[in-house]
Amino acid sequence: MRQEMRLLLAERSLWLVSALFLLLIGYALYNGVHQTTLRDRAQAAITTDDARTRADQLSQLGRIMAGREVPSPFQNPADPARMGGGFGAHHALMPSAPLAPVALGQTDLFPGQFKVTYQSKIHFIHANDIENPWHLLSGHFDLAFVIVYLLPLLIFALSYNLLSVERESGTLKLLLSQPLALRTLVLGKVAVRAGVLLGLAVLVPLGVLLLARPESAGAGTSTLWWSLLVGAYALFWFALVVAVNAFGRSSASNAMLLVISWVVLVLIAPVLLNLGVTAASPAPSRTELATRTRMVTIEAMNRYSKLLSADYRHIGKPEVLLPKDGKIEMSGRALASYSIQKQIDEEIQPDLDRFDAQHARQQQLVARYSLLSPAAVAYEGMTALAGTGARRYAHFHDLMDGHHQAWKKFFFPRIDGGIAITEADFPRIPRFVWTEEDARLIDRQAFPALLKLVMPSLLLLGIAAWRLRSYPVV
Amino acid sequence: MLRAIGLTKTFGAQTALDRLDLDIRPGEIYCLLGANGAGKTTTINLFLNFIAPSAGEVQIDGIDVTRDPVATKQHVAYIPEQVMLYGVLSGLENLDYFSSLALGKRLPRERLLQLMDEVSLDAGAAHKRVSAYSKGMRQKIWIAVALAKQAKAYLLDEPTSGLDPQAASEFSSLLKRASEGGVAVLTTTHDLFHAKQTATRIGIMKKGRLVESLDSAQIGQTDLQALYLQHMRD
Amino acid sequence: MIALIARKDLLERGRDGRLYWAGSVVLVLLFIALAVGYGRQSEVRAEQKAAQALDYKDWLSQDQRHPHDAAHQGMHAFKPEAALAIVDPGITPYIGGTLWLQAHRQSEVKFRPAQDATGLQRFGDLSVGWIMQVLGPLLVIVLGFNAFAAERENGILRQTLSLGVSPLQLLWGKALALAASLAALLTPAALAAAVVVTLGADAGEGLDALQRFAALALGYALYLAIFIFLALGVSAASSTSRVALTVLLALWIGNAVIAPRVMSELSRHWHPSPTKLEFSKALSAGLKSEADRAWQMAFGTTERWGRDVPLNKWGYALQLDDQTGYAVYDRLYGQLWDTYERQQALQAWSGLVLPVLAVRAFSMGMAGTDFVHHRDFTTAAETHRRTIQDIMSRDLVANADPLGNQHFAYQAGPELWSQVKPFDYHPPAAIWALRRSLMSLSILGGSLLLTLAFAYAAVVRQRAL
Repeated sequence: MRQEMRLLLAERSLWLVSALFLLLIGYALYNGVHQTTLRDRAQAAITTDDARTRADQLSQLGRIMAGREVPSPFQNPADPARMGGGFGAHHALMPSAPLAPVALGQTDLFPGQFKVTYQSKIHFIHANDIENPWHLLSGHFDLAFVIVYLLPLLIFALSYNLLSVERESGTLKLLLSQPLALRTLVLGKVAVRAGVLLGLAVLVPLGVLLLARPESAGAGTSTLWWSLLVGAYALFWFALVVAVNAFGRSSASNAMLLVISWVVLVLIAPVLLNLGVTAASPAPSRTELATRTRMVTIEAMNRYSKLLSADYRHIGKPEVLLPKDGKIEMSGRALASYSIQKQIDEEIQPDLDRFDAQHARQQQLVARYSLLSPAAVAYEGMTALAGTGARRYAHFHDLMDGHHQAWKKFFFPRIDGGIAITEADFPRIPRFVWTEEDARLIDRQAFPALLKLVMPSLLLLGIAAWRLRSYPVV
Repeated sequence: MLRAIGLTKTFGAQTALDRLDLDIRPGEIYCLLGANGAGKTTTINLFLNFIAPSAGEVQIDGIDVTRDPVATKQHVAYIPEQVMLYGVLSGLENLDYFSSLALGKRLPRERLLQLMDEVSLDAGAAHKRVSAYSKGMRQKIWIAVALAKQAKAYLLDEPTSGLDPQAASEFSSLLKRASEGGVAVLTTTHDLFHAKQTATRIGIMKKGRLVESLDSAQIGQTDLQALYLQHMRD
Repeated sequence: MIALIARKDLLERGRDGRLYWAGSVVLVLLFIALAVGYGRQSEVRAEQKAAQALDYKDWLSQDQRHPHDAAHQGMHAFKPEAALAIVDPGITPYIGGTLWLQAHRQSEVKFRPAQDATGLQRFGDLSVGWIMQVLGPLLVIVLGFNAFAAERENGILRQTLSLGVSPLQLLWGKALALAASLAALLTPAALAAAVVVTLGADAGEGLDALQRFAALALGYALYLAIFIFLALGVSAASSTSRVALTVLLALWIGNAVIAPRVMSELSRHWHPSPTKLEFSKALSAGLKSEADRAWQMAFGTTERWGRDVPLNKWGYALQLDDQTGYAVYDRLYGQLWDTYERQQALQAWSGLVLPVLAVRAFSMGMAGTDFVHHRDFTTAAETHRRTIQDIMSRDLVANADPLGNQHFAYQAGPELWSQVKPFDYHPPAAIWALRRSLMSLSILGGSLLLTLAFAYAAVVRQRAL
């Protein structure tokens, strides 16, 4: 083993591959940290902006109560219909997880914040972040990409001719004339190479993360799982390399075979898997949802048409905008809009639930069949650990639904009762509080992913061990 | 027909060929003898313009090969030590392809079969894939290409090494027949026996220089051997 | 001579397994992609058409109501999926196709299909475009990597050159043979795609779809030609087949897998887009300052809908509010979309050395699934929204404002609704698309010239030994 290490160190290819890998990791981490920082900064700006708006509203309410100001009809902090709607709405935010920079996952596709109002969530959950669709199509150059797509190729570069080159140059005969089992030799060779690549793949990101995001130090479990996952993914490819070498073909055919398996497992299989999952469990039609939404809206608008035709009274009598004895008069149209939205919310919710259920079903299918592509397993596993995958977004939606309920529960009785919002109410307006998902959930998802990588690796190693027994030395 | 004037080739500080003068006329078979690295193959490569001379000139049929390499190659046929053909194609298909490259047009099938016959390859062999051919058979295909081309000069690089005695003698007679038809032949070898058997003139090369040029008819096999060994010893 | 060389290469390749197994894998994938694409598209298009028709019916059958409420109900604009989305869906999965045209605000497109898919979507879409862009070059490499290198290794090259064949003739002959084998393989798929595309196109748009398809096919032909000359050049420049294969695979991975991501990161860096918050703040600020000016002039106040604007001016005020906004939306969305287009142009330019980026831009452009087409649709939809707003406001000014102290009590009827025509969007013609894709096409051409020059140099300089 020490011999092998010395041999490998003397080879130019190791240094070349390591330098390349380091470069790729470095650039990927830079992108990851950069994008996550931008995202965090954008969210901080939103939080600040929300807080400022709320403070302004509070001081405006103070001036109104003191009789120093008459509010405008659509921006009245005393009016619960306005405060519960867009005027008073706050954002629900999903913060970046500690490991977010290693796998940007779906952060560019799924918005990480929603402006929650009393309206149906169909009105606010589709407010996408700004991103060029071309970039969404390309994807990010993050660490997960480097590991999933490029690490296998680097493994190939270092070890496609693990045994074949020794045989082709005749050194294998010399080696095996020593008291040394072929299996030990292979093990030693793989261990040295894996040590170098995995050392870079795990230690460099950890170091960078600790420097760039000190808070990630707290995410011990996720980090451990991440390292195991990277290790298991590398193990799979090393196992494949050993198995291919064990068949005793020439270096050239080994290289060809490995590249083909990479194309199939990394490029084609996930795409086919996605196709299969979509075909087996297609999402309900969004066109239909749009039509449904419109029909529900029409129905509700017709139902409250009388309220809609009521004219605003504040033109002649601005004092109606002011709260009186804790009560406030809301305009007919504001009440109509409230009632319409409430009805839409109730009626469209089952449709939205269907989408969520469908999404969950697809995710289950992926979990079941991702076995077909280690790349899919690794990618899904890494985004899950980085908190940028489907599961954490679903968790965010659950939290947001809870917040939405609380929000409605706070405002509905006030709107129904015509009760004005007071300064004392302000601290009691529901706030969205992020709570991290259950850590056991992470374990429960990471462990099967690990198994799905280790099992095929063991299978490949078994084949390799079997073939190595009859390996042609000459 | 084949002519070298003060031909010199250096690779870095090493002189591979030193002021070689040769003039091979039609009907002559000139055989270059020498150890490995004496400059025989370099000479052939220079005639084919695969490498450029450092000094001096190479002419084929009076044309400087560096000036018009493609035109001069129309007059010569080059037969390497190891003739390589396309393994998945049959002998006839290989002959068809290479002769068409040499002539710029495809020959009719009868003519191809006739050429195969001239180099004594039977019809059965013609349709077999070349991957099943022996070295001698591959060489015969290549000679057929040379015949098809009606080359005025042959350049041969160790043509008989690795051939069994029968194939070698067949080869010699093919060569003799060609030279009787007026072809100028330059061949390299380190097989003294073959040189004596086929050549009309024999040159001995050592470290890039032509140290001896003899008329084959005027020297016996044993004398040639003695002379050669003496040069190698010095 | 070139034809003779090509003929032999083809004959040889025909007896070599590579063409069959590599070719059949690609062919099978191509046909799956076509079948799946066709099935999905016919469903989506039928649904969109039905929804669009239903939407207009709902609009027309509105009861007597206030025109502004009609504007709030609004209309939907469903983006008709391009006929060639079967071949290259482009950005379709990442951009929605549904717009709700409502009062007050320019709406944003909703419902991105990728959001309804799993994370695996990010590995790519099995489409003809993806296969050609990613696997096409690999096919060329597998077929052509040893074209020169193997013949040099075994000595055939030396013999061939001794016959008086010029290296350039060999290059063209081998290129021709590669092109012919690719053509033999891909032509059936192309014909099938042409049929599917024509079948899938709307009545009367079949010819346009075919024209687009022809241009798209030309783009892919150029793209593959680039790789033919690259493979031959590298093969000529490499000492052994192994070196040639390694270099070509590295170039392929760099081009097909790494380049799109790196160039996206770079272009994002070069031409940053605003954040959502920045954008909406700029929009609000722009709208406010324009409206402030207009309200000050019209009503002597900047307070909206307050006591200083009597109800008999609300129709006019609504009209004013809408129309001052149009320019602001045009400016800000225009800037944002220009940024997107600049980002994409930057990436297309890198196509000179990373041809996948140029062919991707060109392919989407011709398929009608790129951002330029999307922008055309969004603009058409927004124009329609403004038409609705303007018709409603005009009616309010004419009929509600004279009512004095009433405004929302006013109700209009079906004659007003029918003044708004249905939203009938047709994507621009093939020639329009071609004109907008000329840049990426020329970049592809430029890239071909570069590789051709490289192949020439490599082949002329190559050693026969």
